[in-house]
Amino acid sequence: MFKKLPIRRAVVVLAISCLILSLTGCGGAKTGADAGNSASTEARDYYKVGVITSLSGAEVQGGNITKYGYDLWAETVNNKGGIKVGDKGYQVKLVYADDQSDPAAGANAVERMITSEKVDFILGPYTSGVTKAVAPILDKYKVPMITGSAESPSIWTQKFKYTFGSVPAADLTAISPLETLSKLPNPPKTVAVLGVNDAFSKAVAEAFKASAEKNGITVVKFDVVPAGTDFTPLISAIKQLNPDVLAVGGHENEHMEVIKASKSLGFMPKAFVMHYGITNPDFSKNLGKDADYTFGAAVWTPDLDLKDDLFGSAQDYVKAYKDKYNAIPDYTAAACSATGESFSAALAKIGAKPPLSDQQREELTKTLEQIEVNTFYGPIKFATDGNWYHDNVGLKALVIQMINGEQVIVGPEAMKAKDPVYPVPAFNVR
Amino acid sequence: MGLFMQTLINGILIGGIFITIAVGFSISYGVMHIVDFAVGEWIMLGAFTAFWLNMYTNVDPLLLIPFIALFFALIGYLFQPVIQKVVNIKHRSAAMMALAFTFGLSTLIRGSALTLWGFNNRNLITVLSEKNVDLFGITVPAIRAGATVFSILVTAAFAYFLYRTKTGITIRAAAENKTVAGLMGIDGHRISRLVYSIYVGLTAMSGVFIGSIFSVFPDMGLRYTAFAFFVVVAGGMGSFSGAIVAGLMLGLISSFVSVYMGGAYVFLILFFILYLILVFFPKGILGKGW
Amino acid sequence: MLKMKQLTQPRVIIFILSLIVLCTLPWVVSSFILRIATGIMMWIGLALSWNMLGGYMGYISFGHGASFGVGAYITGLLMMLLHLPFFVALIISGVITYIFAMIVGYPTLRLSGSYFAIGTWAFAEMMRQLVLVLDTTGGPEGLRLPPMLNDNFFYFVMFGLALLVFLTAYFFFENSDFGLKVKAVREEEVAARTLGLNTTWIKNQVFALSSMFAGIIGGAFAYWITYIHPDSVLGPLIADQMVIMVLLGGIGTLFGPVIGAIVLYVGNQYMLAAWGQSSAYLIILGLAICLVILFLPEGLLSLPRVFKSTTKGAFARLFSPPRKTRI
Repeated sequence: MFKKLPIRRAVVVLAISCLILSLTGCGGAKTGADAGNSASTEARDYYKVGVITSLSGAEVQGGNITKYGYDLWAETVNNKGGIKVGDKGYQVKLVYADDQSDPAAGANAVERMITSEKVDFILGPYTSGVTKAVAPILDKYKVPMITGSAESPSIWTQKFKYTFGSVPAADLTAISPLETLSKLPNPPKTVAVLGVNDAFSKAVAEAFKASAEKNGITVVKFDVVPAGTDFTPLISAIKQLNPDVLAVGGHENEHMEVIKASKSLGFMPKAFVMHYGITNPDFSKNLGKDADYTFGAAVWTPDLDLKDDLFGSAQDYVKAYKDKYNAIPDYTAAACSATGESFSAALAKIGAKPPLSDQQREELTKTLEQIEVNTFYGPIKFATDGNWYHDNVGLKALVIQMINGEQVIVGPEAMKAKDPVYPVPAFNVR
Repeated sequence: MGLFMQTLINGILIGGIFITIAVGFSISYGVMHIVDFAVGEWIMLGAFTAFWLNMYTNVDPLLLIPFIALFFALIGYLFQPVIQKVVNIKHRSAAMMALAFTFGLSTLIRGSALTLWGFNNRNLITVLSEKNVDLFGITVPAIRAGATVFSILVTAAFAYFLYRTKTGITIRAAAENKTVAGLMGIDGHRISRLVYSIYVGLTAMSGVFIGSIFSVFPDMGLRYTAFAFFVVVAGGMGSFSGAIVAGLMLGLISSFVSVYMGGAYVFLILFFILYLILVFFPKGILGKGW
Repeated sequence: MLKMKQLTQPRVIIFILSLIVLCTLPWVVSSFILRIATGIMMWIGLALSWNMLGGYMGYISFGHGASFGVGAYITGLLMMLLHLPFFVALIISGVITYIFAMIVGYPTLRLSGSYFAIGTWAFAEMMRQLVLVLDTTGGPEGLRLPPMLNDNFFYFVMFGLALLVFLTAYFFFENSDFGLKVKAVREEEVAARTLGLNTTWIKNQVFALSSMFAGIIGGAFAYWITYIHPDSVLGPLIADQMVIMVLLGGIGTLFGPVIGAIVLYVGNQYMLAAWGQSSAYLIILGLAICLVILFLPEGLLSLPRVFKSTTKGAFARLFSPPRKTRI
């Protein structure tokens, strides 16, 4: 290219001066002012809603459950004439983005949704990691988002202004199963805790450990393992310690493998305690009878006596979901559907017609902080201070047990439908 | 002592599954000089095929193994010319182009599986699933024991084929030195095609066992690619006895580290050992690799 | 000193014009496009840094993501624990990745070919597992950096880094004695050694230099995205993408990695946007990689040449039977 030295030097000098110029230039550039770009100026009579979730990558399964929940909300709202603001109903149109289960891809996707799709508000990611990467960008553009799934407590301690969550953090919910068990006439004395090394599962495992210690159950083993580990050696080691309860923090895939490994090693504790994932239809479908009697924590089950105007009762919701996806919804799907209702209620309250201006979004965010919405999923009320800032703390954690492939509420005392079965029958006598 | 013996047995059984994959992988590397990133995807396809066949015919997946092996061997046989085309490209780093090609292939297969069959987890139930045998106080999971025994039998049969039959000897000759083998009148293309088809068949077949021990889903291939690489590289590419030793080593390390150090460190230590083996014994732990 | 004739060479003019255009970009395009442009700059830098090692020296690394991740984590930790300003942290992380790569490179570079590829991959996986286990790095919770939301700042940082890597590749690898020595290692390492080249030193230098660039870019990435996680900065996908980009564009060339990075990054983003709700884009991505390697082994850079040759000739080449000489 430039063979003679002087030209080379000139180009280098030019390039460097370009750099210096640009670095000084960017100081006073558009950042706050630019956020104005994000509001839509096109005239439209529907709400454009961004959905960002994991549609590929490691968390594709959960990502699709959140998508189903959001889709069902949009469809139901649209069939009933849209979101009523004033005396006119406005339809909802969802715009999807795949975060590929990767925080960086999620950050790109959300920026695209805000700046080029110009969405009015956002329904959030499945994973906590993506939520943490997306939240600062929402703060920049001042666009509100509610995630119907992310459960890691570490999201809420960061105090993001425009990010909300409709599922209580894992450390609020995971304490309940062992607490319920410890109040039985023949409480478990020892527990082994296994956790998978991702943000959510580790938080669950730590909450299991803390609640066991608090309730006088000895923790005989606590191990956090990387995803993809073979559970057989760990279960063998636990079998030697013979704990009353095996508690596992993970997702449906790991839960399945733990049960399969335990069965193939002939290990049968008095109970398996897990968290999210056992309510996933695949868990019961794949394991059949072996899935039964597993304890879990949930914030919603299909039997709850709750209702709202949009979906009707919780049972009506389950029916609608089953008709559409041929599966029983779990609490993540329900929370995602209910998440849309929070937005509807807040929009109706401030009377904001699409497209939303920046000021209306600001109002929307403030209204979300104030209102309490009663849905088929339960009350949604976001905390406005403390360690769970903007998380829905209105919900009680339920203890569930799988019986004949159905989730049955067995705790806490005030909510239970049946007494917990403990100790549970062995695999071969079911 | 009981725990120690149990850990030992677990270790052997964990590694046993990967021996077959490693053997096929090694021989295909030896002849074609291809490091196949899609190895996990062949496992996934094998597991899925078993799952679908089992669903529609209700034949036990273990009985389907010969059929799956033959079916995928045929697919490998038909597909090999495409890979050969990449290997033959007149290019400075043709081997690396082939590696990148298999990476593209693995993305393609994984994406297709995800799109066609959805993200759901599936469970492959065999007659041996979740049963166990009690052996002097040690619990032996039946399906894993079956997988390991089967693995060793297949490897032995394959070794017999390679060392005692004429075709086998030509394969070994081609793996040792292609040019000289070519001069001796061995048709390299035919051998490559045969070897690739054996490799794909063996790998897909192992998928049946892996699918029934763990679970079946489109993304499952990724983690087994890592294990397969471990066994192949630690054993020395192309070494039979090396693959067996490395497979057992993989299992024993996973097992003992999980039990005595904590599950968190399993992969850290596995990859550290793999790295050390590569740096100090690039020809594998037995020094018999190509 | 400056001759007008040299300055008016078309190539020089194009280079200068594109620099000026790229510098004014933030004032012209929307902030989403700017974000994509920042991403492109980052990947250009990464692909070029990988190309130093894989292209010019012929050592294909599947563990280059480790340098990226180590740089990202060191920058993050320096900023969060010691509260250092960004540029100081970035420079320190560059120095640390350089030294780190020297130490790792010494044993690793004794390997070659597929063994080097797998060795670096094993090392990168080890680093990911290490960061997952350690408490200082936040383990699976990841690490959050102080938020800094100035788009232009990051665009210019990435642009500057990409330019730096580009100029390094141009002056040190394309047009210098050092570059010739590096290429000698690629072509025939033993012969290079017999001719008196200290190949160990050369290999170490190239490895450390390219790792350092990846580390610095990783640091800038961490501050840009503000949240890093072992799977997102140390995952195998980072290195895989670098390799694919370089092969796509044309390995061992100056502009190949640039073109590969642009095409793959933009293509990936476009497909995500267009088919966001299905995983079909994985099929297209995989198919695209396979087709390019099958039909354009020299990368996209060779596209004009393929077009120039007669259509008949090109077809004949594409569908010719495999040659028999190489078994």
